[in-house]
Amino acid sequence: MKIRKYWQIAKISWSNGLAYRLNLVMWRVRVVVQMLAGYFLWMAVFNRNQVAFGYNQAQMLTYVLGGALIRTLVLSQRSVDVQVEISSGDLNNYLVKPINYFRYWLARDGADKLLNAVFGVGELAVLVILLRPPILGPVGGQNLAGLLAMIVGAMMMYFYLSLLVSMTTFWYPEQNGWPQRFLIFMILEFLAGGLFPLDILPEPVLAVVKWLPTSYLVFIPMQVYLGRVSGQELAVSLLIMLAWVGILKQLAQMVFKRGLRIYEAYGR
Amino acid sequence: MAVISVEGLTKTFKVVRKEPGLWGSIKALVKREYETVRAVEKVSFDIEAGELVGFIGPNGAGKTTTLKCLSGLLYPTGGDIQVLGYKPWERKSELQKQFSLVMGQKNQLWWDLPPIETWRLQQAIYEIDQASFKQIVAELVNLLQLQRVVSIPVRKLSLGERMKCELVAALLHRPKVLFLDEPTIGLDVVMQKTMRDFIAEYNRKFGATVILTSHYMEDVKRLCERVIVISQGRIVFDGKLNQIISRLAGYKMVRLIFGQEFDQRKLAEMAEVTEYNFPQAVVKVDRKKAAAVAAKILQEFPVADVTIEEPPIEAIIRSLYEDPKILADS
Repeated sequence: MKIRKYWQIAKISWSNGLAYRLNLVMWRVRVVVQMLAGYFLWMAVFNRNQVAFGYNQAQMLTYVLGGALIRTLVLSQRSVDVQVEISSGDLNNYLVKPINYFRYWLARDGADKLLNAVFGVGELAVLVILLRPPILGPVGGQNLAGLLAMIVGAMMMYFYLSLLVSMTTFWYPEQNGWPQRFLIFMILEFLAGGLFPLDILPEPVLAVVKWLPTSYLVFIPMQVYLGRVSGQELAVSLLIMLAWVGILKQLAQMVFKRGLRIYEAYGR
Repeated sequence: MAVISVEGLTKTFKVVRKEPGLWGSIKALVKREYETVRAVEKVSFDIEAGELVGFIGPNGAGKTTTLKCLSGLLYPTGGDIQVLGYKPWERKSELQKQFSLVMGQKNQLWWDLPPIETWRLQQAIYEIDQASFKQIVAELVNLLQLQRVVSIPVRKLSLGERMKCELVAALLHRPKVLFLDEPTIGLDVVMQKTMRDFIAEYNRKFGATVILTSHYMEDVKRLCERVIVISQGRIVFDGKLNQIISRLAGYKMVRLIFGQEFDQRKLAEMAEVTEYNFPQAVVKVDRKKAAAVAAKILQEFPVADVTIEEPPIEAIIRSLYEDPKILADS
């Protein structure tokens, strides 16, 4: 019965997403344009060099296109609406019902990401067929499995990170919480390695960035795929990631509880 | 045992104070000054199973805050609340499955989807089995005449249709307790009556306990035997509606229709004329002397028809809002 609850949420989320055709098309065009921009930029770089920043052309293009696919899965979500629901008082609708608000959004995000995966893989396939870029396959079964596990972990990490940002709206409800989200997510996307591989950064910066949870969102999963992180190192990375998911989840739940204490259930 | 029990409920909010103008905005950017506002103060009442209680008061009196505390949206600053034996702010699903909150100015329907989609989601959330769901939806759709709108996206519906669909969404799990915050706001008179009849029917048929807030006295008059009047965060009256009338209105209105012209001044000597528009006049007379005065007027004036009426409830409530102390004085 409980599963049915969240399955129904996923279904209504899909129906809602598909209710706007124009929005759907625009959104996919945006994703493809972003993917192409990264692709052509790095093509240009590798026209002049064989190797740049420790990556050869095939590795870099694989990182960019694969990273774009991971980004569309990990760094996109419906639950940005949480901040709007908090500041507008629409959170009321859930608080009075026998439903777990976090799981509700997890179900909606899950549904959204499944839709993203279908589109993302399709688009990438079309691009690969049209552009025939020199991309690399997975180095082995272990790495492929590691990548899949990491994507799931990254989604969970990002989910709780995003909730934490949304919950600042309990204290700063101005403009539905968009000012803080824009800033934090600009930084986050950069630190995730969604735009370029983080190890092209200068050594001292990299040393810091590598230890931040954000590098587990895109950078490390792609390193796993490329075979730059394997074996024991992969196992350790997965454990660290698991720990981060746990920490962020606890933190999000704690902040939510505190936020509800001062929540004023606006809307009148 | 009371279904709802409120004991000394107090709720305060912290609000930012900002001086007017641009300079005030700049100052507020650097240093914020807060002020504590008391939305409700030491509010106590009990409501028994099956009661339909009107909760009335001017804007900002604390009605909605009280309802939000009762439904677990707000933590009380002080005092205690029990709804069906639970503390609402603990938000136990056992309690949540037994009540519903409907806010006339808030939407829970999915805007871009037909109402049936929201209802199905409600079905899953409240774990209603398919057979009951079908039966309840059919019943409510029929009662509220919603057959036409079930599959039309919510954004294309009229306010009245939307409100009816909101009610269906709120009632699918057959709540034992219903908090209705201005359910008729913005609706036309016909739709207001439909909603009223429906609420009365739901209360009667399922023995549901209902708290209703409304600015339309007609809602309260038609639906609620008992009213709780709240003003500036405090309860100023809790009892039968007609008690307010008898306590506050020490007068009655005598409505007269005259057969021919007469000397108005003579009428004014006998009673306070509040309205005169030949052939009709209305005079205000002391409640105890109403019958005697009416008889005297009948004798001395060319009266074609006479009726003795209670003063309009709106006027009485208005005077109570303006000066909550008048009840204590009366």
